[in-house]
Amino acid sequence: MKLKLTWLMTLFMAFVMQLSFAQEKTVTGTVTAKADGLPLPGVNVIVKGTTRGVQTDFDGNYSIKASANETLVFSFVSMKTAERLVGGNSAINVVMEEDAAVLDEVVVVGYRNQSKATSSAATVRVSAETIENRPNASFVQTLTGQAPGLNITTSTGQPGGNSLVQLRGVGSINGNTEPLFIIDGAPVDEDNFRSLNPQDIASIDVLKDAGATAIYGNRGANGVIIIKTRQGNFGEGLKVNYNGYVAYSTLQDNDYNMMNSQQLLTYERDRGNGAGAGNSQGVFNPGNGTPLTDAQIAAAPNFDWRDFFFRTGVTQSHTLSLTSGSENTSQFTSFGFQDTEGVLQDSDLKRFNLRTNVTGKSTNEKFRYGANLSVNYSKSNEPNSIASGAINRNYVLGAYQSVPYISIDDYTNGADLLSPLSFTNTPLFLYDRLLTYTRFEEEVKAIASANFNYDITDWLTAGVVLAGDYQSEFLTRAEHPASFNALLFGGAENPTSGFQQQTTTRQFSYNQVTSLNFNKTFADKHTVDLGLYTEYFKAHFRQFGYFSNGLDPKTFSPGDGSGFIAPANGLFADTANAEILNAGLFSYFASLDYDYDTKYGFSATVRRDASYRFAGSNRWATFWSVSGRWNISNESFMDGSAIDNLKLRASYGTAGNQDIVGLGYFGGPDLTEDFFATGSGYGNANSIGLAQLGNRSLRWETITSSNIGVDFGVWNSRLRGSVDVYQRQTTDLFQSTPLSATTGVTQQNANTGELYNRGIDFIVDYDIFLPKTEGGFKLNVGVVGNYNETELRDIPSENGEIIGLGREGGILNEIFSLRYVGVNPANGELLYLTADGDVTENPDADNDRVWLGKSAIPEWNGSFKLNIDYKNFFLQTQFNYVLGVDQFDFDYSDAINTDNVSQFNLSTDVLNAWSQPGDVTDIPSPSAANRNSFASDRFLKSADFLRLRFASFGYNVPAKFLENTGLSNARVYVNGENLFTWTEWRGFDPSSLGGQRSYPTPKTISVGFELGF
Amino acid sequence: MKKFSKILFVGLLTIVMGCNDAIDIRQPGRLDALNAFQSVDDLQQGLLAVYNQWDLSPEIALASNFTDEVAVSFDSGGQGFALYDFVLNAGSAAASDFWVRNYRVNNRATLLIEAAANITPEDATEQALFDDVLAQAHAIRAYANLELMTYFSPDPTDDSTLAAPVVDFVAPLDYQPLRNTTGELWDYINSDLTMAASMISTQSSPTFLSADGINAIRARAALTRKDYGQVASLSSQLLASYPLANQAQYQLMFLDADNTEVIFKLERTLTDTYDGQGTTGSVAAGGWAGARFAFVDATITGGSYFEMDRGLFNLLDTNDVRYDVSVAPSSIINPNYDTDPDPVNTDILIIQKYPGSEGKPLMNDLKVFRSSEMLLMLAEARVATNNDLTGAATLIKQLRDARFGSAQAMPSYGTAQEAYAAILDERRIELCFEGHRYKDLKRLGPAANRGVDRDPTDCNAQSGACTLAATDYRFTLPIPIIEINANAGIGGQQNPGY
Repeated sequence: MKLKLTWLMTLFMAFVMQLSFAQEKTVTGTVTAKADGLPLPGVNVIVKGTTRGVQTDFDGNYSIKASANETLVFSFVSMKTAERLVGGNSAINVVMEEDAAVLDEVVVVGYRNQSKATSSAATVRVSAETIENRPNASFVQTLTGQAPGLNITTSTGQPGGNSLVQLRGVGSINGNTEPLFIIDGAPVDEDNFRSLNPQDIASIDVLKDAGATAIYGNRGANGVIIIKTRQGNFGEGLKVNYNGYVAYSTLQDNDYNMMNSQQLLTYERDRGNGAGAGNSQGVFNPGNGTPLTDAQIAAAPNFDWRDFFFRTGVTQSHTLSLTSGSENTSQFTSFGFQDTEGVLQDSDLKRFNLRTNVTGKSTNEKFRYGANLSVNYSKSNEPNSIASGAINRNYVLGAYQSVPYISIDDYTNGADLLSPLSFTNTPLFLYDRLLTYTRFEEEVKAIASANFNYDITDWLTAGVVLAGDYQSEFLTRAEHPASFNALLFGGAENPTSGFQQQTTTRQFSYNQVTSLNFNKTFADKHTVDLGLYTEYFKAHFRQFGYFSNGLDPKTFSPGDGSGFIAPANGLFADTANAEILNAGLFSYFASLDYDYDTKYGFSATVRRDASYRFAGSNRWATFWSVSGRWNISNESFMDGSAIDNLKLRASYGTAGNQDIVGLGYFGGPDLTEDFFATGSGYGNANSIGLAQLGNRSLRWETITSSNIGVDFGVWNSRLRGSVDVYQRQTTDLFQSTPLSATTGVTQQNANTGELYNRGIDFIVDYDIFLPKTEGGFKLNVGVVGNYNETELRDIPSENGEIIGLGREGGILNEIFSLRYVGVNPANGELLYLTADGDVTENPDADNDRVWLGKSAIPEWNGSFKLNIDYKNFFLQTQFNYVLGVDQFDFDYSDAINTDNVSQFNLSTDVLNAWSQPGDVTDIPSPSAANRNSFASDRFLKSADFLRLRFASFGYNVPAKFLENTGLSNARVYVNGENLFTWTEWRGFDPSSLGGQRSYPTPKTISVGFELGF
Repeated sequence: MKKFSKILFVGLLTIVMGCNDAIDIRQPGRLDALNAFQSVDDLQQGLLAVYNQWDLSPEIALASNFTDEVAVSFDSGGQGFALYDFVLNAGSAAASDFWVRNYRVNNRATLLIEAAANITPEDATEQALFDDVLAQAHAIRAYANLELMTYFSPDPTDDSTLAAPVVDFVAPLDYQPLRNTTGELWDYINSDLTMAASMISTQSSPTFLSADGINAIRARAALTRKDYGQVASLSSQLLASYPLANQAQYQLMFLDADNTEVIFKLERTLTDTYDGQGTTGSVAAGGWAGARFAFVDATITGGSYFEMDRGLFNLLDTNDVRYDVSVAPSSIINPNYDTDPDPVNTDILIIQKYPGSEGKPLMNDLKVFRSSEMLLMLAEARVATNNDLTGAATLIKQLRDARFGSAQAMPSYGTAQEAYAAILDERRIELCFEGHRYKDLKRLGPAANRGVDRDPTDCNAQSGACTLAATDYRFTLPIPIIEINANAGIGGQQNPGY
């Protein structure tokens, strides 16, 4: 029937056309896939050398006007492009072959797309498959280990918490070191992705070298990450897809061997200090001077505060998406809801997402447009004071350090904890806070972008991309008047203490790129692409809020103002705050690409940039790049070789970093100026005081990158990958230059010094087994790696050393410290080395410090993967590794600090403390005279690790089972994050840079399914 | 082609219009240096900012933590252990705080003095105000430099020793001075004080520097330099204007409700810059004065991390109003503390010198100069100038009479050393927790044969750091590392012992 209709149509069309035109006729036909013989919808059929083109319909049929001397080009993603001369044919049916080698063919470079083969830049694409369905609230965490050179550090377990993203080392000391993130053409705040739904992402491109990033000039110095969200296709029926999962997160445990109640009470009794000795002020066995008996100690309760403050966090996530397309428009719409509980009490994130992406074109295809809109709302409870030493505020401290013999049952109310006020009651202070303290953030985030392109001629295109990023954040914080903290600091005189704070912060940024592109192929082999661009960026920050002191417990409810107390003599004085900041950038730039027969290519970019930050000094700067490639595999001498892809690339260029203070759009807006400020002075009267000493010579940090790389594919790309060697040189580093205090300040940040990052990136994939039949066994392994070393030059100090930063020729952030060598067996004192290497108990805290050649910046990082597909089952694994990281384990130093006895729990390691001459141990005598005297490298530990970062096991329900169910596809899976970690680090999470008493990232297991209708 | 032109036009428009509004941005609310000070009123507001840099809490923290005023209390979380164990080096907060803070005050005062040079008062009233502002700026600057002198000159009485750089101008940012001699720094301090004394018109004011306040600085400076003739003349003059408080007035004074014997104090009030805990257990204190000893309030439930040294407590008589002022009633006093197995928890001496004011615990005005200090200075001068031991004893009796509220026995001293020791002991009681003990021991300790002398029960519970001779090098602070990092030359002029 179908055939008949086509025939009739063809006849009819041919008839009509022949009547109308003598030479141009209509060609029709059907396009099918070779593999299964099924029709292929959506194939582009273009008359070669023109912009005339159509797409095949659902049944693979097409119809196009063409002359006999013209050639039709049939192209489709992942298929080999086919060409057919029209000649005398009026019906051309095409069978298209799959092309395994070009699965990730298109790369995003600069403001344009190129085929992988004609790109001379170092870029990596992370596809949606490795991002979707992973139980991370922020997609950035998911990128860990997926692209060589990309180092992602997440130092908080707060759901949706910010991650530090660094590409190819650390490009700046004080300035921004994170890449520019662009979502559908909109540059976005790189520190806030908690409101976005990772399930909407179609692809992520990581642009690494100057060839790719120089065109982003003023913000591309640290690399660029380009995110595209899903789109509909033209001429596609409605498809509905549902993804959902439930995840369970738990704490990654430490290895500190904390004592149980019996051990701790016995130790306290031995030390004569604490509940075990009968002289505690805490709620357990408050002091009567009589030590506990063995029987009493044995009967003491054990309460696990870690299990109390850390819980199993449950997450549920649902995404429903709809795609459809007509001839000239297509759309993608998705709705998302996610509710994530953090493993720490009172930390969570709930969000709603709506995204709609629309694309369209004119019938003649000369005009094309796209619009992307994402509106998101999230609410998160986020405890603060994390990592602080506040025993009444940091829940994490309570989890790590609380004594186990106090239990939750000992809690009555906040007032009862006031007297006697004892540090030993720390967990009860914190439990009280959990009950009485509120802190949550609500956020509305909208990202909108629109792009318009118009082909003025077949070689000239004008385009504009308009993009906005809006976020509005509301912070609410309240301390109940009846809470322990309010009563404690208010005192008996102020029974209505407590406070409520609300702050609203709005931020909007607008970016517009206007472009004109010339693209022409000469003599079939010479392709030239020239682009001219302007970019305009403007951002606005608005914040206001109040801090209300004094709340009436009768009417107080968090977020509501009924309980506010009228200020009395300034005691309950409220404060208000408001702030306005504006930022802007402007640039114009050009890019030129030349290709000869897909064998040789050359690209160049030049860009003039202006930043509002340097208005008073060096406003404009120029950045540029050149790059070239040689597609060796396209040379005739490579014909017949097993190597089907071999490309040599090289690039060199500069990019600027204008965010030299590293605080985002608005940080350091006018550092070139001297300012005074009015505000609270002596006696709280208004005053005029010095606020800022300006730096008149402020300018951009410049990163000059060079890169040489090879892309390769062997045996039909069964083995494929790329290797890049690079150097990034940052000049005019904006860094702290120490000043004599006699100037009235002790330091000023100035552009001085150089920082080098040198390294190698590689990514290799190998399909060990490829399925010979459908559902056959497929085994794929891969490795991603980056080695990076840093070097400092021209350090701004007399002796070429700055403590905390490093030394001339040394690594960045090299640790400078006393060297600890052990405990003196004779007297239990700590032993150190002098600068000359002599052992001493009393080193010079200043002059005996040495450079240790260690830092917290990794030397190696990357991942291994192993993926298996068999029948309808799949298994994906990703092992991450980080090597060459040294960090101070301050949590351990707390756990063995014997001065904490009676107040906090201790590690069983302290039972090995020195007690008599001759004891050989690493734990000093509890009364060692120098135990608190010196900071040293005693707790500096290696934080290298190998971790099973991600594993996924799942099942795709075969199509035959889905017949008559209304489903087009179905999949179920189990995912795990951070499942196992192999490390010498004894703390909770070696990958965290959060320091002491911080909130570690969790281990997560999720179960989910995906349905397509 | 029409469309093309339109696009070109829009593009050009973007370049021309877009450019400047994006890159030429003036942030709202900025006050540049040129517009900061345009009138005498502006100068007066500038002076309030300079005053606001002036803080006594670091002196209070150093004197108590390093000497024999405090002991580690039952609610300690480890605050100040290193300093309690006499650990003091170029990396210590004490060194950097005293250096950096005083140079900051010096700089801010100088900025104001230089700004004043561009302002001409319009009439006599303005002229008087202008002179008063300038006088106070000079006096504050002198006080900051006096602090540098006291803490960084190994011997303020020897003009040839090295003190601190004299910076009597707004130094350019690349300025890297070497230390000036003690004599040169004295010249700078004295010229500021002379200038201040000549310009001031207000005679007396408790919370702003007046003629009396400036004279008190001069008296303190003279005492530091051991110019006892000057000390005697200034202190007796001030003592005449500011009689000693009676017992009731004395108690009210520490609640900030009486100024009978206050010559000058720094006001601390609700929601000002210092209304907060500050850094507990550190010399870089800031915040409420009382938070140098407790986290929350000056009672046994207030999170006391430093309590009173038992040796100091033993010097206090319960009939002495200073007992009531210094020791909180909620303290637990155990007469057998020295034999008790657990003195930390059974003998708790809560410090109450800063009980709080205006409803805010621990927040009190900082008494910079009180007449009792003038009296004790005068007593010291009497011994020093003509070995007038009886004269000194008479003054001590006068002070005790006032503090006990009844006539006390006349003390008698056999030697100057005995008299100095008695004066030092009396200062330890009268001026405890007010930031004097460290500099008193440095000045008078060797002559009085006194040093840091902690009660063994207290110090042995820690690392056994019980005594330290007043001649120890640590009674002069080291040039801090933070300065040496920026100013390598000064590293070669480090104080002896470091």
